[in-house]
Amino acid sequence: MDEQELIAGCLQGRAEYFRMIVERYSAPAMALAMNILGNHNDAEDACQELFIQVFRNLKSYDMNKSFKNWLYTILYRRCLDHLRRRRRSAELVKKMGQETVPATPANPGSSERPRRLPSDLLESLKARERIALCLWANEGFSAREISEVLRCSAGTARVYLFQARKKIKKLLEQGHVSLQNG
Amino acid sequence: MSRCKTVSFFYALIPLRPWRDLLIRRHIEGCPHCQAGLASRGESRSLFVQEGTVSSGRTLWTGIESGLADEAGEPIKTISRQAPSALRRRRWAVAAALLLVLATGYWLLKDYQPEAVSVASAAPARFELEYVRVDGQPANAVIYQPQGSDMIIIWAGKNR
Repeated sequence: MDEQELIAGCLQGRAEYFRMIVERYSAPAMALAMNILGNHNDAEDACQELFIQVFRNLKSYDMNKSFKNWLYTILYRRCLDHLRRRRRSAELVKKMGQETVPATPANPGSSERPRRLPSDLLESLKARERIALCLWANEGFSAREISEVLRCSAGTARVYLFQARKKIKKLLEQGHVSLQNG
Repeated sequence: MSRCKTVSFFYALIPLRPWRDLLIRRHIEGCPHCQAGLASRGESRSLFVQEGTVSSGRTLWTGIESGLADEAGEPIKTISRQAPSALRRRRWAVAAALLLVLATGYWLLKDYQPEAVSVASAAPARFELEYVRVDGQPANAVIYQPQGSDMIIIWAGKNR
């Protein structure tokens, strides 16, 4: 079924159409969230929040724009929220001098989950650079499309992407050299 | 090659995004040497999780269903499409107001002369020289200031 038909069905209040949207976009959304958050449970939480928000705000979606980009924009915001929560928890732990991360009331237990990005090389990238690279590599997005998701100018998206690619290349080369030497 | 180094130098020298974007568009995107220093799409893709390998499963839908059913809970924060531009407008307004205040302040103060000038001109009228007297006679006075101190000691003795 066509994307526009699904959205129109959802707007008419037909729950099965919304479920079809979730089924269609849950895998790419989960992959993107995993690539940003590095944790399956956090990614699932972010995706749940994403689809609930999509359901509640579908009326404000502009049909002339890409639905996937709109979806990714919301997901990106939700993921940033998760990263912020994580950072706050880490700061709190640092202040308290404890070794275990306390659960925050807003998101109980999430901070205790092990965080592991798909590749260690991605740790060297900032969240924006990581998502720009992910959208470019996985989805084939252009700088303009990335800018729509990140809500920045195309030039800024281009700079994020360039820096991410440069850092990754450098790290790949260093890894290659160290393997050769080792 | 030398041009690539120059571009790289200026890229690092000026950390402004519009400038960097210009360098990327004008040189880096079309330069094979510079492109060789960037990770390719394939290399980058190998670092990320692909959608085919992710299982969202039933738990995701269950969570969404329960989230939507839970109307009593806190409403989820909505995204505001106008927020970034509204914020930008507010920033511009604050910047413009500051500029206006600075310009007005400058215009008001540019002809202002500090009071020190009038005090200086009035100083001769206010200055008065008097003898230090002891028993009605000019005294033998010594002014003493210890080194490195602001304290001044005036010693007045009877003139014999």
